[in-house]
Amino acid sequence: MPEPVAPLPRSDGASPQREKAGRHREATLYHALAGAGAGDGRSLAQLREVALRAFERLELPVWRRSGFWTTSLQTLELEALENDVSATAVPDVVRRALPERARAGRIVQSGGSVVEVELDPALAARGVILCSLEQAFELHGELASAWYSKRLPIDRNKLEAANAAFWTGGAFLHVPAGVVIEQPFEIVYAIERPGVAQYGRTLIVGGAASEFKVHEYDLAEDFDGEALHAGAFELYLQDGARCRLAQVQDWGRGEVFDVSTRFVGVGRDAYCHWLPALLGGHLVRQHLELAICEPGGDMAFRGLFFSEEHEHLDLFAVDLHEIGPSGGDVHWRGAATGESRASFEGLIQIDPGAQRTHTYLQIHSMMLSPKARIDAIPSVLVSADDVSASHGGTVGELDEAAIFYMQSRGLDRAAAVRVIVEGFFEPLIAELQDEPLEAVVREKIAAKLAAAREDIEAYATSR
Amino acid sequence: MADLEIKDLHVRTEDREILRGVDLAIDRGEIHALMGPNGSGKSTLANTLLGHPAYEVTQGSIFFKGEDITEAEPHERAQAGLFLAFQYPVSIPGVSVANFLRMAINAKREEPIQVKEFRTQLQHAIDLLDVDRAFTSRHLNDGFSGGEKKRAEILQMAMLSPDVAILDETDSGLDIDALRTVAEGVQRLHDEQGLGALIITHYQRILHYVQPQFVHILMDGRIVLEGGVELVERLEREGYDQIRQEVGAAVGAGDGDA
Repeated sequence: MPEPVAPLPRSDGASPQREKAGRHREATLYHALAGAGAGDGRSLAQLREVALRAFERLELPVWRRSGFWTTSLQTLELEALENDVSATAVPDVVRRALPERARAGRIVQSGGSVVEVELDPALAARGVILCSLEQAFELHGELASAWYSKRLPIDRNKLEAANAAFWTGGAFLHVPAGVVIEQPFEIVYAIERPGVAQYGRTLIVGGAASEFKVHEYDLAEDFDGEALHAGAFELYLQDGARCRLAQVQDWGRGEVFDVSTRFVGVGRDAYCHWLPALLGGHLVRQHLELAICEPGGDMAFRGLFFSEEHEHLDLFAVDLHEIGPSGGDVHWRGAATGESRASFEGLIQIDPGAQRTHTYLQIHSMMLSPKARIDAIPSVLVSADDVSASHGGTVGELDEAAIFYMQSRGLDRAAAVRVIVEGFFEPLIAELQDEPLEAVVREKIAAKLAAAREDIEAYATSR
Repeated sequence: MADLEIKDLHVRTEDREILRGVDLAIDRGEIHALMGPNGSGKSTLANTLLGHPAYEVTQGSIFFKGEDITEAEPHERAQAGLFLAFQYPVSIPGVSVANFLRMAINAKREEPIQVKEFRTQLQHAIDLLDVDRAFTSRHLNDGFSGGEKKRAEILQMAMLSPDVAILDETDSGLDIDALRTVAEGVQRLHDEQGLGALIITHYQRILHYVQPQFVHILMDGRIVLEGGVELVERLEREGYDQIRQEVGAAVGAGDGDA
């Protein structure tokens, strides 16, 4: 990994340089973090202090994208929410949602407290660490400090600052050099009741030539009322490390706001396969950045999303190449029902010096109701000349010819629609290469389709 | 009453009337050929029989096994034992042929089919149609050649064991080998399962491999001539124009493929 760098001036909608954050009118695409982390040797206490000052100074962010898209947190009553550290048991929603399976370890956070940590003793004996981030600073301070917030900003917007200032619990995973682990680690963030502000914070470091899998679950009970998950996630892969990272997010039917920043840094000859499955939340705004930080790094950045009812989903996925040669392959698929709105921006950014980078971005979307909307915006910023970078995508609706075809074989309309939508997501789901996890994602998509059945019927008859 | 009985069927699309009083009766175990020039209403009849929403029945009725299915949903007709082999099969990305077949079979059963039973049936159908085993793990019709698509149609027909199948220009666009495989498949399903079939075709070629007992000629939305296999030979000799003159059907029917 490169040495930490000083924060760069930014013109993000939530830039700390602006007094009235997000209130400007300029039409702009979102900006990559591009190395703008906080990890520069300051202590945790110092960073918390800086973050707290930023939190107090900044207003809730507003994100505007090219004039036609706004993500606003104006209905979020932040003062009414609290970081609840009273939970002591694994929530029911976690027991219901997670598959029975073999695992390398599991850490569960409910609200602001870690309620379960379990690690295969054989892995602990080989030096694997899985614990709360709080405990990591107590027991493995040097290791945790060296990586903490290295590439995550702490004062860019109010909620990133809130996370950096107020986080409790948290997850820390360190897989030492050369350790290869077949079964996945599970990291779970759950919200059980309204009124909670959850500042989830995950730090993962994969040592040289390590190989491992991480499955994150973000879950909430179906409650009435507001809650917040302001998440910060960082994963660093050292030379030759390989990681398959998947994330299943379903915040249920409550008014859960999810404003998260996630960064994955790929070191020399390392590889990451990252697949977030974003399957629900009242308002979700995520910055997902996958960066090739050293020569020979390679990655597959996959993602799927499904929005329903009145959900608002704002995704900014960055495929960042800081140095070459490097490889990238970004492939996202999304569907929307109800009156949900989803906006996906995929940015390929190739920095000066990232020669011999080859990357491709594709985004496919499917509208399942007349009032649903998906905007997909690919953008490419290239500052090197010996590269290939391109993008493609499709926007689709249900294919009535395909539905009739399946009906003529005995499937009813709802089953036919389900086949089409599942078939649409299937290329990505199959890439999870993990049957229990694939089943979780398939079932969640099927449940959402069943819930939207009337809506989908109405759409068909209206055309 | 025959298994499939079509009475005085009038059908229109948004802009015009296409079928103008079709009568047809097909029993299990019978092979019928329906021939006609482009635009005569052949595909309209096929799609209407399965309940395609773009076609409106304005008069007449369709009975299947004694039930009036004129207003039935497409999947209800299929579950009752009707089958349509499409002229242009649609691709279903993300779903393998085998998985799709399993879903279709289960759609008309109370209990899902046992894995072993399904495999046996599938193997039998594969042998019958001379397709590669790997074929069934490919996504349905996705990237299939024309011949593969038609084979996949017949494979589905073999697995679903309908009482009456409508083959909508299954022969068009096929080379002679593919045509022979498809035709022999139909013939064997007829011989083994007592399949009743309505083979809709523009050409005579497929009828050299499947022998129809009954031949109907459709022009301008009506059946204008009926007979046995000798009608195919006559058509080969004389062409549609000669027949048109003889039956006095309205001229100018070839205005687009309906």
